[in-house]
Amino acid sequence: MKRLLLLFLVIILLLLGFYAYRLYTGRVPSLTTVDAEISVSTTDLIHAFNTDSAGANKKYLGKVLSVNGNIKSIEKKSATVVLGADNISTAIRCSMDSNFVTALAGLKENENVMIKGVCTGYIPDDSGLGLGADVVMNRCVIEKNIK
Amino acid sequence: MMNRISILLTFILTAYGVNGQDKYFTKSGKINFYSVTPLEDIAAANASAVAVLDTKSGSFQFSILIKGFEFENEEMQEHFNNDYMESDKYPKAEFKGQVLNTSAVNFKKAGNYPVQVKGLLTLHGVTKDIQSTGTIKVDGNALRANSTFNIQVADFNIIIPKLVRDKVAKSVKITVDTSLEPLKG
Repeated sequence: MKRLLLLFLVIILLLLGFYAYRLYTGRVPSLTTVDAEISVSTTDLIHAFNTDSAGANKKYLGKVLSVNGNIKSIEKKSATVVLGADNISTAIRCSMDSNFVTALAGLKENENVMIKGVCTGYIPDDSGLGLGADVVMNRCVIEKNIK
Repeated sequence: MMNRISILLTFILTAYGVNGQDKYFTKSGKINFYSVTPLEDIAAANASAVAVLDTKSGSFQFSILIKGFEFENEEMQEHFNNDYMESDKYPKAEFKGQVLNTSAVNFKKAGNYPVQVKGLLTLHGVTKDIQSTGTIKVDGNALRANSTFNIQVADFNIIIPKLVRDKVAKSVKITVDTSLEPLKG
């Protein structure tokens, strides 16, 4: 009887362990542990989408990118770092990983930065209001703050 | 004479100022979706919607990237992108419509105003009529536009494999939550 109870306990523990393992491994991983597939400069990435968005989608969509370039603005409220230049309306909007939101405090406009994120695509400016088009990156982490 | 010109100038400038306040936008609108079944609840969030509201004409539109939806579970996110939404082929979804009763909203007075929205939703390459209710919250210089509606997955040619049919709802709830700021033009 005791043995049966012990066996039962072991099985339950194993099941719990398996469940915890699945729960942990099933999570979307932080990009800190993932290598970038493509390294590209802000200027080149913007140019690629502006000139041939279909081709750029094929190359960059869904890929982990390491992008380096100038910080155009920082939007604390939405935890977004905008990369680009003042004289180009298209920008790269990097939505930060929730664990990296505090790192925003260490960034300044017009400094260079290297950000790793998943490219989720391109939203052209079809509002006709001059909002500028955007390349969007998600789950972003800061790789290097180049002063 | 000088006085008249300056009055005229002030008038023109104010008119322009008022005009500039008609359009509101955000690039960090939140769009979530929920699929609820007895077997499994699935939720995903996207916080990078571009939304524009014209308070004068009532036109409201938003664009969103499908790959920007985040799930708790990696496998679900992959199924969502690869199998259901085919986000490589259809990377973007958009809504183009109209707030039908902007006249019922006093954009100069703080408050919550119920609104009706109607328009075309394009998703997975299919465009459908959508009608919904929502709220516009006026708070000083900023607006917050909210809406919740349901879509039938089958309406957008999204095919759920038999194996998981009981885990994915046929009717999915979409919530739109946008904090809009005046467009400086």
